[in-house]
Amino acid sequence: MKISKADKIINKQIKKSRVGRKVTPKKCADYFFTYLALIVIAVIFAFPVLWLILASFSESGSMYTFKGFFPSSYSTETFKKLFTDIEMYNYPRWFGNTLIIAVASAVLGSLLVILTAYVMSRFRFGSRKGIMKTTMVLGMFPSFMAMTAVYLLMTQFNMVDNLWGLVLIYSAGAPMGYLTQKGFFDTISNSMYEAARIDGASNFKVFIRITLPIAMPMIVYTLITSFTWPWSDFILPKLLLKNKDLYTVAVGLMSLGDTEFARFAAGSVFIAVPIIILYFCLVKYMVNGLTAGAVKE
Amino acid sequence: MNDTEIYHGKPPLGKRIGAYFAAIPKRFKNFWCSVGRKLKRIPQRIGDRGRYIKNAPKPVKASMGLMGLGQLMQKQIVKGILFLLIFAAYIVYMVLTGGKAMFNFFTLGVVPPNPWLGIKGDNSVVMMLLGTLAFIITGFFIAVHLANIRDAQRTFDFVARGNKTPNFKQSMASMFDKYFYITALVLPVVGVFVFNILPIIFMIFLAFTDYSGQVVLSGALVSWIGFDNFKQLFSVGLMGNTFFKILGWNLLWAIMSTALNYFGGLAIALLLNKKIVKGKKIWRAFPVLAFAVPGFITLLAFKFMFSNQGPINYYIEQLGGTGKLFFGIDSKWSARIIGWLVNAWLSIPSSMLLATGILANLNPDLYEAARIDGASPWTQFIKITLPFVIFATTPVLIGQFMGNFNNFGVFYFLRGGIICDGYFLASDTDLLINWLYSLSIDNKYYSLGAAISIIIFIIAAIISLAVYIKSPSYSKEDMYR
Repeated sequence: MKISKADKIINKQIKKSRVGRKVTPKKCADYFFTYLALIVIAVIFAFPVLWLILASFSESGSMYTFKGFFPSSYSTETFKKLFTDIEMYNYPRWFGNTLIIAVASAVLGSLLVILTAYVMSRFRFGSRKGIMKTTMVLGMFPSFMAMTAVYLLMTQFNMVDNLWGLVLIYSAGAPMGYLTQKGFFDTISNSMYEAARIDGASNFKVFIRITLPIAMPMIVYTLITSFTWPWSDFILPKLLLKNKDLYTVAVGLMSLGDTEFARFAAGSVFIAVPIIILYFCLVKYMVNGLTAGAVKE
Repeated sequence: MNDTEIYHGKPPLGKRIGAYFAAIPKRFKNFWCSVGRKLKRIPQRIGDRGRYIKNAPKPVKASMGLMGLGQLMQKQIVKGILFLLIFAAYIVYMVLTGGKAMFNFFTLGVVPPNPWLGIKGDNSVVMMLLGTLAFIITGFFIAVHLANIRDAQRTFDFVARGNKTPNFKQSMASMFDKYFYITALVLPVVGVFVFNILPIIFMIFLAFTDYSGQVVLSGALVSWIGFDNFKQLFSVGLMGNTFFKILGWNLLWAIMSTALNYFGGLAIALLLNKKIVKGKKIWRAFPVLAFAVPGFITLLAFKFMFSNQGPINYYIEQLGGTGKLFFGIDSKWSARIIGWLVNAWLSIPSSMLLATGILANLNPDLYEAARIDGASPWTQFIKITLPFVIFATTPVLIGQFMGNFNNFGVFYFLRGGIICDGYFLASDTDLLINWLYSLSIDNKYYSLGAAISIIIFIIAAIISLAVYIKSPSYSKEDMYR
């Protein structure tokens, strides 16, 4: 009896899989190098963060007393100093300012983005394609190319050194990034809306009663992304906030030199922690946002 | 020859790219033909409008003449009064400031400031800004006026069909139902106009003036100078030299960083995808940690790490070397390479997450088939993984390229405020965007900065427009319905 070609291949596979169960040198090397690479990657990415955390517990604030990466002695003094020694560097104030700006722009901005995205996805009207193309072209301008103009505009409106001026800019610019949200609304089937419309609900009611509840995950995502942007932006606050009492954390931390290194580290750790926790909770949504422009099959 | 080739499924990527570029002249021609057709129709359309105005019913004609009059004639009192109020507000605005602002836009002021005589003089730039604002407000007013005519006509038709005139409450209700999209878009559109479009238009105008700190200091007025700023950038001399040097480095930087970030992210994603890796979530947490820390914190931390008294120099000295100035004035390539690596540290996590998402969509049967055919892991990577990932992420890749091209943060934090020999107010690590910032914000060469930003925009537009319009998120938006 002749053995067919397919049988031969299957036999070979079986042999191979038997070999696979044994620990061969090749497999050992594969394990070794894979885990070595993983450890190296983990160290590379974790190290600067760990260094900052370490530095925030250093007893003396200045960078010059460090022995390489390690502080010469440790204490929690810097964190206390951060909130009590506010003569020169008023961290609690900066923190409050940042919080006001970020929360207000997240709420206002998300509202505008969700409205824009929903309308652009759900309705078909004359200027729709025009608006889409315009936003696309506008998105290509470097984001702070118009900084000088914004600055002059804010002086005209008397909004320099004013936290609400920043809120206005952040939330007014937010609808430009509606594409991710529109992509989400595009995936919701029309039939649900149609059913509500036949029952006599107005479009406004449909938006409030049906769209918003469905879009909850997307709203949370929008809120958080539009929160993190002002939370970690430094260009606009640097330009528009000249008064030291109105600094945001980013501008304040930028003003710290080598001798205030521990303070910088402590301040950074303090504002990075909430963001890091948020990101870890939402990493799934973040990936969706990142792949929004990619081909899905 | 080529016509006889038969593909199963899509033609290969190379062919598709070739076809894409081959079709460009044709698309170009189509575009201009359609423009021509539209132009040809203009006289006819003007005729149509003329006839419409002539034959319009009385209330509509009244609305054309005076906003809200038509509504009043059709007994829609509240609506009519609202329209009238808008009209009155616009007229008051134009009489008080708007008309003057428009006039000043063209002259850019006539009275130079004179501190000796205590004359405050005209502020040309503010005039330009307010003039632009006046034009935008007029645009909005025209839009409202057209809406008012359309509304009068609609009410007229509605009543002519034998219905009762809708009262104010019903009109309001329709704003939240039939015309909900208009109500919803009003706020976003106004916001974008004032804070995005107005500044951009203003910057474009600015590029054609001679506005700079010196002009302001010398007490002269700003004037229109045409293309002189651009000529200066493309001229031979310090300015032109700086521009081309920075442009070259900027392109190199964008290509190198995009490549490193993209393939680095892909490599980590593939590594984590290996079957033998246990505890994937824990390993993935490290890059995500780096992703989550705000960018300016990491950049400042790296600056401290490489600073003169920083840990890196400490270890170099411990090992018997002499400390180096990594971001000093002479450290061109060390600063560039450190910037490149720091940027990779910042961006690889996001492209890793992206690649992980894409790889999850990849059909595992493909690998099964390839393994049975005896393909080595390397061949599998080259023939299956790479084409799929690259094809799926092309739009994102373009976005990353543009993001790197305009990467302001890295060199602003690591090496800000340094001016090198042979450069006009820039350092040899600066990208165009850093130069733009240094020129317009730090040194008050506003008009030059504006000209550079227009050039950046043109580069960005050329690169991304063609690709983006072809991307599925734009052209296949109804795919999932």
